[in-house]
Amino acid sequence: MSTSSPLAVALESIASCFEGIIPASICTCSADGKPNLTYLSIVHRVDSHHVGLSYQFFNKTRENMMHNAFVQVFVVSPSNMRQYRLDLLYERTETEGVIFDRVKMRLDAVASQTGMSHVFRLRGVDIFQVLDCRPMNAETSGEGLPRVDYLPQIEEFTARLAAYSGLESLINVSFDALSALFGYDHSFLMVPDEDSKRLFTLGSRGFGESGIGSEAWIGEGILGVAAERREVVRTTNFSRDVLYSNAVRSTVERRGEDSLIEREIALPGLPQVQSQLVVPLVAQDRLLGILCLQSAIAGRFLSDDERAVRIAARQMAASMALLERTQSTTPQEIPRQPHTVQPVATSTIKHYKADDSIFIDDAYLIKGIAGRIFWKLVQSYAQSGRADFTNKEIRLDASLQLPNIKDNLEATSDLATPPFTGPL
Amino acid sequence: MAGAYPVLIGDELKTFLKGPVSVLVGTRDSRLVPEITRAWGPYVSEDRQRVSLCVPLATSRKALDNLEGNGEIAVTFSLPRNYRTFQLKGRHATTAEPDSTDLAVVERHRDAFATVNEALGQSRQHVEAFWRAEIETSAVLVKIIFAPEQVFDQTPGPGAGRIL
Repeated sequence: MSTSSPLAVALESIASCFEGIIPASICTCSADGKPNLTYLSIVHRVDSHHVGLSYQFFNKTRENMMHNAFVQVFVVSPSNMRQYRLDLLYERTETEGVIFDRVKMRLDAVASQTGMSHVFRLRGVDIFQVLDCRPMNAETSGEGLPRVDYLPQIEEFTARLAAYSGLESLINVSFDALSALFGYDHSFLMVPDEDSKRLFTLGSRGFGESGIGSEAWIGEGILGVAAERREVVRTTNFSRDVLYSNAVRSTVERRGEDSLIEREIALPGLPQVQSQLVVPLVAQDRLLGILCLQSAIAGRFLSDDERAVRIAARQMAASMALLERTQSTTPQEIPRQPHTVQPVATSTIKHYKADDSIFIDDAYLIKGIAGRIFWKLVQSYAQSGRADFTNKEIRLDASLQLPNIKDNLEATSDLATPPFTGPL
Repeated sequence: MAGAYPVLIGDELKTFLKGPVSVLVGTRDSRLVPEITRAWGPYVSEDRQRVSLCVPLATSRKALDNLEGNGEIAVTFSLPRNYRTFQLKGRHATTAEPDSTDLAVVERHRDAFATVNEALGQSRQHVEAFWRAEIETSAVLVKIIFAPEQVFDQTPGPGAGRIL
């Protein structure tokens, strides 16, 4: 590797250009002198003098750079729309390792979400030396964005988390702190079921009255892939990812290769979601769940946000693991008291199997696990008049497919009312 | 041999080039080092054999030097709404001073470009910063004219680069 001289504009000073918020473009030149220009979805900053580009399809760009290593990439800063030219020299292609895994993770997650797993396949990451990074207009320098220092917020977050007393309190404290300290107003937490096949929403914040109440298959979609691989997936411009996927989808369909396309998965949460940060909650090498933050603003979660939330999530996971360990092995049972029910009015309760949603007199009440439990209790009541149940028997009821979090049934009524779904 | 003669630009492509597309120009120097610049106001000639565009002098000096040196040019036109992209290549690009008609086309194109991006959630002010920065040291525009010899469908995906 050659000795690196300072670039006209340091890559670190235009960090948001490497977040995939605005598409970049790449120009190569064939051996016989014909330029070729095309779009790229993202330029990955590897270090102060290297960038990486994903290699998915063999095309003219790749053919050219194998014959002529001089390449130029053109990036746009989403913060101020300044444009920069990166003069690059192709060095090598990596097909494994840290950079490859990082690029593959993001690509696979989006591909799974948009049904393009068989189309978007990472063959390698092409690594380029950055010879220079020049502003398009000589007057322009870096983005001039102040670096975010999240250290005080993280310190405060861990302090607040220390005050929790149970799972529901832990989740509530975390959501409150993420919102108040970092401004992350839309968050939800999902936990795996006992078979580790599905994820259930245990709590949510900032999604209106009905909450999210969704489930996801582990390994499918952005949430499922993040859970399966226990890796962070950060999306900076979801609608652009979808546009890009749709463009590729149209090309694939035109080529008559429809069989390569799988079903598209709806992303739960904000209808206009642009940015998403999914962080696995792992403790003692076990996946305890995923924390998902969303925003309707493109580029809301940048690399500094990712670092901060990784720390927050580790703290949350450690607290969850501790909770499991310290919890009494014998669940406390609710004292049985005879109930005398005096009917005052009649209501119709409907249960929809597809998502276990419950409607009372056509008004939505709850869905997911909570809906399943509710339906089970109502059925018992209708059949035998029984009105008292223990947490223990609900836990042991395999037909309910409860998530693998031991004390979720001790949640208070705060968690049982919308926007939360899951525990009663 | 394909690409030896100018191609005739059909109705569909002509309409596309007149739309709110993002326009980037690729050139190269004598060492085959590429240079990208952003262009505005694409215009298809009456005989449909030539395309003209305008680039800001302040941001395009190297690109203009390259064109003067070898005339090799590649231009992509991409619709922000759906990523539909075409690439046109030519070998004998020349430059000229834009007239009032060219400048009016540039204005119309910038306005349409801002409007389409507005619909995608970008504020007009934000998009306008694009060309404001380009002309902050000099407002001079230079016109590039070339006869496309090859047209490629450059829409992303496995079929990108298909010659039309």
